[in-house]
Amino acid sequence: MVSIADIDGVLDGVPDPELPISIVELGMVIGVELQGSEANIRLVPTYTGCPALPMIEKDVREQVGQLDGIDSCTVQWCFEPAWTPDRISPGGRAKLSAHGVTTPACACSGQTTVILRTSAIGCPYCGSFNTRVDSPYGPTRCRAIHFCEACRNQFEHMKPRS
Amino acid sequence: MQNMLADQLANIVLMHADDKLMLGHIQSDWTGLAPILEEDIAASAMAQDDLSHALVLYEFLGERFKLDPDAIAFDRDPCDYRCCDLVTIPDEFDWATSVVKRWLTATFSQLGLHRLATMTEGDLGDRAKRLLDEQTIQVTHLNRWMTRLGRGSIESHDRMQAALDRLSSSAGMMFEPPDATLTEDESFCCGRDELFTEWAKGIGITLDAAGLSATITLPDRSTGGGRRGEHAPHFIDQHAELTEVRHSDPATSW
Repeated sequence: MVSIADIDGVLDGVPDPELPISIVELGMVIGVELQGSEANIRLVPTYTGCPALPMIEKDVREQVGQLDGIDSCTVQWCFEPAWTPDRISPGGRAKLSAHGVTTPACACSGQTTVILRTSAIGCPYCGSFNTRVDSPYGPTRCRAIHFCEACRNQFEHMKPRS
Repeated sequence: MQNMLADQLANIVLMHADDKLMLGHIQSDWTGLAPILEEDIAASAMAQDDLSHALVLYEFLGERFKLDPDAIAFDRDPCDYRCCDLVTIPDEFDWATSVVKRWLTATFSQLGLHRLATMTEGDLGDRAKRLLDEQTIQVTHLNRWMTRLGRGSIESHDRMQAALDRLSSSAGMMFEPPDATLTEDESFCCGRDELFTEWAKGIGITLDAAGLSATITLPDRSTGGGRRGEHAPHFIDQHAELTEVRHSDPATSW
């Protein structure tokens, strides 16, 4: 008998094609419903123009559909709640940071100090807070380009909600 | 399709979606040509945003009127498009014209999405709220270009001012309702004059910061323009180009 936990397990393994984390870690999954052998997965888009969305939808349909006891799997894109980087799990944040992509701080990130500086975004390479936005539009729809004045490196930052 | 075109709310949604479709289509011409690498990425991303925003709105209409969103985007006659004249004006690959045109329309779209975000029909409000976040990033980015070039060199200032002078006369036409029967107090139009006043106040702040000026007035009420499907001749060519692939094989899929 297939269970919601089985589906969750499969979703945990569906990667974002453009980032080294899963769609669950990224916070895209907002609901999993199971009625008999029919599964419905509700997802929120990070950014509406992200070209990875159809690939993610296809991966979810195929991989959940292959579970024993599942006859069909549908994917429903939702707009409420809106995705924000706050939805990225602590584990996902750690993986992104190791990949050179920073994330906006939030209450859920476990940060215990308030940073009172011109930029609250630390460089993932040298840790300096002497950083600035280079462009709000980075290599993917969800990332902005920042520049570290200390080590003179560009790095990517998950765009906060405007 | 005719049911949709006769519906007042649908026309309001269409006017925003059609603005986005045409802007995204025309602006993608800049991919590979923007003045710096970062901006090449940004300009392409914004064109991509505009097309996805159009799709999110066409999907809402598609569900409401049982239509294929691609059919709404590509299978209408030119006179059934509700985009304003400003979005279709060719920029002749002049960066100042491109920035000013996008800035004028992006600030209008932002205000329009604010209004749509309050709508309770289906999930239109949720869709608009989602788009508004992305739209605000565009406006912030374009505000920076306005000040960067307005306060740049004498040449950049003059070219920006020239672009503003050239496009200002079409900017007021953005506020024309798509349906002549829409009255001033329709909530989704929120009154043409009220919308215009709010918009003009917002752009005035950026113009001051940029050291630029613009004289923009609302058009005569008898003027229809693009919002009513009375498009300029260049729109016919743009429409033909936009729909060419779809019409070559309507049943195909990507």
